[in-house]
Amino acid sequence: MLAYLPYAIAAWVFLWGLYGIVTSKNLVHQVVCVAILQTSTYVLLLAIGYKVGGTAPVFADIPVGTSVVDPLVQALMLTDIVVEAAVMALLLSMVVKANELAGTVDPEELRFLMG
Amino acid sequence: MTTAIIPLPIAIPLIVAAFLAFAGKGIGRRACDLLAIATAAANLWMTAIILRGTWSQPQVYWFGNWWPRTGGVALGISFVVDAFGAALAMLVSLLTIAGLIFSWKIFEDTENHFQPLMLIFMAAMCGFSYTGDLFNLFVFFELMSVSAFALCGLKTLEPAPLQGAFNFAIVNTIGAFMIVMGIGLLYARTGALNFAQVGRSLGTHADALVLLAFLLIVVGYLAKAAIVPFHFWLADAHAVAPSPVCVLFSGVMVELGIYAVARIYWTIFAGSLAGHAHELRLIFIVMASITAVVGAVMCYAEHHLKRLLAFSTIAHSGLMLVGVGLLSPGALAGFVLYVLSHGVIKGGLFLCAGIVLHRFQRIGEDHLHGCGRGMWFTAALFILGAWGLAGAPPFATLLGEHFVSHSAEAVRLHWPVYIFIFAEVLTSAAVLRIAFRIFFGWGQPAPSDKSSQIEEKPETEQSHERTPAAMFLPAAALILLGIVLTFLPQIQSRASASAHEFANQSAYARSVLENVQITSTHKGEPENLSSSIVHSCIALLLSVLLALSTVFRDKLGRAVNFTRSLELGNSLLRRAHSGHPGDYVAWLSFGTAVVGLAFLWWLH
Amino acid sequence: MSSRTRTVFFLCSAAGLAFVFAWGIRDLPPLGDYRGPYGNVVTQVAVYERHPTDVVNAINYDYRGFDTLGEEFIFFASVLGVLLLFRPAGDEDKKGKRETKLEDALPISDTLRVSMQAMVGIMIVFGVYMATHGQLTPGGGFQGGVILASAPLVVYLSGNVKTFEAIVSSPLVKLAECGGAAGYAAIGMAALLFGAHFLTNIVPFGTTGDLFSSGTIAVISAVVGLEIAGGFVLLMQNYLREIIEERLRKEK
Repeated sequence: MLAYLPYAIAAWVFLWGLYGIVTSKNLVHQVVCVAILQTSTYVLLLAIGYKVGGTAPVFADIPVGTSVVDPLVQALMLTDIVVEAAVMALLLSMVVKANELAGTVDPEELRFLMG
Repeated sequence: MTTAIIPLPIAIPLIVAAFLAFAGKGIGRRACDLLAIATAAANLWMTAIILRGTWSQPQVYWFGNWWPRTGGVALGISFVVDAFGAALAMLVSLLTIAGLIFSWKIFEDTENHFQPLMLIFMAAMCGFSYTGDLFNLFVFFELMSVSAFALCGLKTLEPAPLQGAFNFAIVNTIGAFMIVMGIGLLYARTGALNFAQVGRSLGTHADALVLLAFLLIVVGYLAKAAIVPFHFWLADAHAVAPSPVCVLFSGVMVELGIYAVARIYWTIFAGSLAGHAHELRLIFIVMASITAVVGAVMCYAEHHLKRLLAFSTIAHSGLMLVGVGLLSPGALAGFVLYVLSHGVIKGGLFLCAGIVLHRFQRIGEDHLHGCGRGMWFTAALFILGAWGLAGAPPFATLLGEHFVSHSAEAVRLHWPVYIFIFAEVLTSAAVLRIAFRIFFGWGQPAPSDKSSQIEEKPETEQSHERTPAAMFLPAAALILLGIVLTFLPQIQSRASASAHEFANQSAYARSVLENVQITSTHKGEPENLSSSIVHSCIALLLSVLLALSTVFRDKLGRAVNFTRSLELGNSLLRRAHSGHPGDYVAWLSFGTAVVGLAFLWWLH
Repeated sequence: MSSRTRTVFFLCSAAGLAFVFAWGIRDLPPLGDYRGPYGNVVTQVAVYERHPTDVVNAINYDYRGFDTLGEEFIFFASVLGVLLLFRPAGDEDKKGKRETKLEDALPISDTLRVSMQAMVGIMIVFGVYMATHGQLTPGGGFQGGVILASAPLVVYLSGNVKTFEAIVSSPLVKLAECGGAAGYAAIGMAALLFGAHFLTNIVPFGTTGDLFSSGTIAVISAVVGLEIAGGFVLLMQNYLREIIEERLRKEK
């Protein structure tokens, strides 16, 4: 059971992130919930790459051939984090600009696109 | 020669975009425009050469010279370019040129950030069409999305564009991270990211993990493809994005989502899900049909030109998913032909909507009644566009529909053809209705509703007397291309042969991992188009009748009262499209849960 | 939908999703049981083929370097997008408004001022170290670039607003960002000149463990560091401006 805990945590965080977005009353809060949702993918990726008894995949002071954890998922995660940063920057700038123009960050009050 | 230039349609626009971002203010607006158009034209030329080189044989390109190891382990990233991907990349470049030429006359104040973003968007979509690696597909998906979000929110003088871009960004970002989870799960099972290698490792049996990965990946890409119930963002984004950007969104970005589902299914999951192909087919076709019906009904109920066209894109996206969801090579051929023809026609229609906005500073059908009298050429383009949306000859949408309906019959599903007719009639009638009201001034003005007032701010500063050639020529060229495509030599046989290659999972794996060139042995017979021609002419006739009855409702009396309720739309459906991002994400979760439970129930 | 309807609707969907997740996750290999070939193969061959000591960066900048190019441009596009969204509206007096912007910073305590001034040098050196040693130690261009970009922010926090304004308005920042982005693609294209595929390593590999080893990995890492640093500085500048502008608007 415990061996599946990180995966369960990833799913749990994902669902919490979704819950936050759905019930949010503030656009900034919504954007941060998207960030939370994204962290669930990091947990999942790192858990997948873990190897029992493995150390960091940096061969500066250990010989090649020592058991190390999977380096690919770490590379994927790096890409993921940069993507998250980029999307957050853009989303937050939209929120800031919307606040400047409409005076509010409550999605209930920003009803310009109905129908 | 072909192989050497494969990375260039991605690398060159990126370098030029970086240069334009730095030197844009210094070299001035016109130089930026010219450089961007020249780069897009160079891309068109390069993608054409690549298409010619891959016309009968896919080419495999390994970045960094990282060829796969013995045992079929791929450490590097590959581009696997076949005729489908190459044709899509060509469509991307073509639509980008049209958009950039159109924008010559608008956007006085973007500090020249618009052109580099368009170039990055184009490079991302080309990369997306060429790639053969799961994570690379995701990276290009995100690159495409981020530039799209930025381009969507371009007009920052009103809050509506920002809200549209925000809704777009939230839904697509959640979809993107579902894709990453799916990729992670597949990696856990197979230890690979290359399509061919993953497909081989999955074998012939799909357990719950494979189904979960399939669910997450498919939902992520279908959210981009605006399939119900993941479609809410599209109408918002199109209502507020500038016209040249809408051309790219509806013309090719949405279709790439469905292409991704097709590619991933046929290279990765075809073997493991083969045992449940029939149930999977039904699930896809039901989703697609609901999308087509909802899109068509909402399309007819809209009076904001761009939102109307956006909903027609949703409807046609549903039709394209029917093509892919039939899970057969014949339907795939139809899918590609439909994507190419729909892309150019819809692109041309959005440019026409942009012309209307440029001339009259308004985009609501109710405010534009009769304004367009005398604009004969634009009216002709609208009517030709409607004709193309109805799938009638001589437009190539007829060919697409023919292949798909034929394949549906082959698997004993007789009702998709009626979904096609329904969607085509309503979407085509909506465009005809606009043309009749705006350009001929027939009948009474359209009913006014809240959505037609979205984004009345124009793209240029004051209304104009004449349509500039820079706006008219790309629109006309695109719509006429919809006709030219039908008559390209060998297009039907080539589409059919390429579809059979696309759907051959083991041949794909061998050509990628073992560098074995497999020649296609499929011999296509010439197709008998007569039944499809009959269907599409009926569809065209019905759409003309519907448009006329709506426009002349007052004169025709109670018999055509149903057109009034069609025009007002279902109020429940309209209320669901509320503009609130929380609603959209709730629907996204609902759709994922339903599809996931369907997968577990029927495919496990 | 009303707020309550939406919540209830979502909770039902979430229950379904949770069930689907639970069903699928059961078939994952348990934690620690890594089976796939990729990690095993690459950790055996990477050090011999490219002479780095950090395999993660070898994957990032060499084996899967094309992904990183895309990722770098995602960040680039997002910075362009932020610049686009925050551009001054046509009728604002561009010059006048922008000059007074960052002068209106909030007053800063002495503790903060002194500690931040001490930090600037450390951040710059550490950032440059990270970005140039990507092939040897965990870190690399992205991480180093972010640390380097924090240095001007620390200057701002230490109260030297004029210096901060001078740093961020310098064309070198934009040059670093655009040059870094284009540079990565150009390194890739350089391989084409030698008849190899895009992004093939054409620089000599050197000895494992040396600073100048692993060929293009080191070069790409540095170039990426430049781009990220430039991009984040631009982002910070625009955000700070918007925030101060809003505060001024509220005060009026």
